[in-house]
Amino acid sequence: MKKPTIRIYTTADEFIDREMNAVEFAQYKIDNAEAQAEIDKEAIRATAKSALLEKLGITEDEAKLLLS
Amino acid sequence: MATTTNYGWTTPDDTALVKDGAAAIRTLGTSVDTTTKNLNPSTTLGDIEYRSSTANTNTRVGIGTSGQALTVVAGVPSWAASPTSVLTTTGDTLYASAANTLTRRAIGSTGDVLTVAGGVPTWAAPASGSMTLLQSLSLSGASTTSSTFTPASYKSYYIVITDTYAAGNTAFQMRLNTDTGSNYYRSTMALNDTTFAGSRTSGGNLWLLATIGALSTNGEKTFGAITIDRINDTTEVFIQANVYTTLSSNADVRWNLSSGTYNNSAAISSITFLAATNNFSAGTAYIYGVN
Repeated sequence: MKKPTIRIYTTADEFIDREMNAVEFAQYKIDNAEAQAEIDKEAIRATAKSALLEKLGITEDEAKLLLS
Repeated sequence: MATTTNYGWTTPDDTALVKDGAAAIRTLGTSVDTTTKNLNPSTTLGDIEYRSSTANTNTRVGIGTSGQALTVVAGVPSWAASPTSVLTTTGDTLYASAANTLTRRAIGSTGDVLTVAGGVPTWAAPASGSMTLLQSLSLSGASTTSSTFTPASYKSYYIVITDTYAAGNTAFQMRLNTDTGSNYYRSTMALNDTTFAGSRTSGGNLWLLATIGALSTNGEKTFGAITIDRINDTTEVFIQANVYTTLSSNADVRWNLSSGTYNNSAAISSITFLAATNNFSAGTAYIYGVN
């Protein structure tokens, strides 16, 4: 499987583009997992919010009005 | 004894004896010679003459040096320094070191600014408050890492993100010193269209800036300004990021404000921008060092 490409500046004006090495790829997967976890957390919260609104029988705007 | 009208040279009378003719001619010749010399005292190539305070007597002024100009000193002509003679080298500037005194100021070093020292202008390195563009990173691939900053001793960094988008939706992240340790402490306030959401990460291994998308999807482009400050604290770096994604539809825009710290005593010497799941398609990060 081809690993993602990364860009590394060697000077202020010059760079190299190369495939990630094994260590970088391992870190990449960790980073992605962290990013995904954050996205999942947001998604779970959004789902829970929708479910609560539905249970209460009000819209998001009405909920905002209640809380304002 | 008769004399000439203008210079009073002595000439023989009509009644003078012929035998005295030779002496009379010599006297006249000597007078002519003396007067001529007084009127023409030049001795050297380039000499000029001016009327002195003594009647029928001129004064010689020797030629000046290359580039000098004729000026007046105490009521008489004199050669003096001119801009042309004072400026000797490319980049020279002129200033007055005293009243009516031209002085040359040699050019400073690259990056120097003109300042005042001892009451005269001088070139010097900017003392503080200056911003230097260290690098312009063209964002590409899954990550783009700056080269090592030289020197790595700037008090702060200011980063401008422009026209950034990816192949598809992805987390847009930042890492300092390629440090993957759990050193990033961030609180984020995100406005997604008109909905606010907050999040906090303690001990993350990078800094989440925002979610970015593809230009082909609603014309998404992301812009931002990031400050990284280590002014007094030697163990923590204060980070603030203001990242905004605009869409051509002007709807569903995203705005991320994040603030927090990077807990590490090392000087910031490189910055990496990462696109988590979809590569960068375009974008530029201008990194400025602030003293």
